[in-house]
Amino acid sequence: MVIDMHTFPGFLEEICQDPRRVEFRREQYFLYKQHIWPLSLFVLQMNAAGIDKSVISAEDVTTRAGDTIVSNEEVGMLVELCPERLIGFAGVDPWRKDAVQVLEKAFGELRLSGLKLSPAIQRFMPNDPMLEPIYELCERYHKPILFESGMTWVKNSPSRYGNPLLLEDVAIAHPELKMCMGHFGWPWVRETAMMILKYPNLYADTALLYFDSPVQFFEHTFETDLGEYWIDRMLYDKVLFGSTYPRIEQKRMRKAVDSLTLRPHQRELVLGGNAASFLGLEEA
Amino acid sequence: MVKHYEFFVTTEDEYYTAYIGDTVKGFIAASGVQNGIVSVVTAHTNCGIIVTEPLDCILSDLNVLLHNLVDDDGEYSHAHFLPTYGRTSANAYGHLRSILVGNSTTLSLVNGKACMGEAQEIVFMEFDGPQARKVFVDIIGE
Repeated sequence: MVIDMHTFPGFLEEICQDPRRVEFRREQYFLYKQHIWPLSLFVLQMNAAGIDKSVISAEDVTTRAGDTIVSNEEVGMLVELCPERLIGFAGVDPWRKDAVQVLEKAFGELRLSGLKLSPAIQRFMPNDPMLEPIYELCERYHKPILFESGMTWVKNSPSRYGNPLLLEDVAIAHPELKMCMGHFGWPWVRETAMMILKYPNLYADTALLYFDSPVQFFEHTFETDLGEYWIDRMLYDKVLFGSTYPRIEQKRMRKAVDSLTLRPHQRELVLGGNAASFLGLEEA
Repeated sequence: MVKHYEFFVTTEDEYYTAYIGDTVKGFIAASGVQNGIVSVVTAHTNCGIIVTEPLDCILSDLNVLLHNLVDDDGEYSHAHFLPTYGRTSANAYGHLRSILVGNSTTLSLVNGKACMGEAQEIVFMEFDGPQARKVFVDIIGE
């Protein structure tokens, strides 16, 4: 099974009926010219990329910008429309006074499968004690967290919040809480490699593309910045396939992962086996 | 008289072809125009529109030719982030194949019928699918 851990559903037609909301999304998510297309086309694109399931995530910037970019309810609705292909992650703005209630509803009523947090966009330090009730709730519900780590293209989102080392205290304090560092923490990829090497509950996804084509950027990141065999020999059970769609097509990121130096079993884990474990799909 | 029509082709793979002659002929019939010209243009820059014989072997050979001429993984300048889009382009090969085959065709219209040889068909070509692709049909005449 191939699972894309890192996609954004904000321009799927089924949740784009309000033009003002679409405009808000474009401005807040810095995706100006993305076409709106139906879920059925997204499924065709997943098919063409050989992807079985995609994680779609909500984004909540209520205290900074006054609204969610994609709400938990919208994610829940999309998953209901296509449960065999979509996995929904909640979003919550940690600065909200009702953050815990929002998340409790997302897990309890909407039955979302995990939480996406974006420290740079939402402007919080992952090791801030303010996050403790959210981490405890995720532990109680056995829900993993996907963090936007490293650089985000979104404007007005200082990168200092995305330093993957800020997760170290959280990993130590919550050893049962599974957390994935999105974008492999780029440009802190060596720090990310250290973190997933050291902490059993930390993972990283491959949703990174900042220069060049995906294949060229992966070659530089995973063969020059990191050792060519580091994933194949050591980190193969800690790296999850992610695309960062629709900032880039899933088929191109799949091709980049296929270009990595990995033996068949390791490749299978990176493409989906690790995600299945991270998401608890094996236990279902 | 000028009549303008639009329709979509939903493509199902990265390289994908669709015969669109019947759709164009349907618009000609609906337009009521008897004599003039018909223009068929795709709205996109990594697709093509050609006229050729509707044989899978021809389209397969064309696909091989286009891949030989345009490498998927060349060191293209177009592989970079586009700030005005908020996304990364990495589809130079699709643009270049589109430029090679062209994005439109024009046919003569005589007595309410498009002038086409018996072996000819209008083919929509996708070079970066799957996508929903828009096609314009303009019928100009009397």
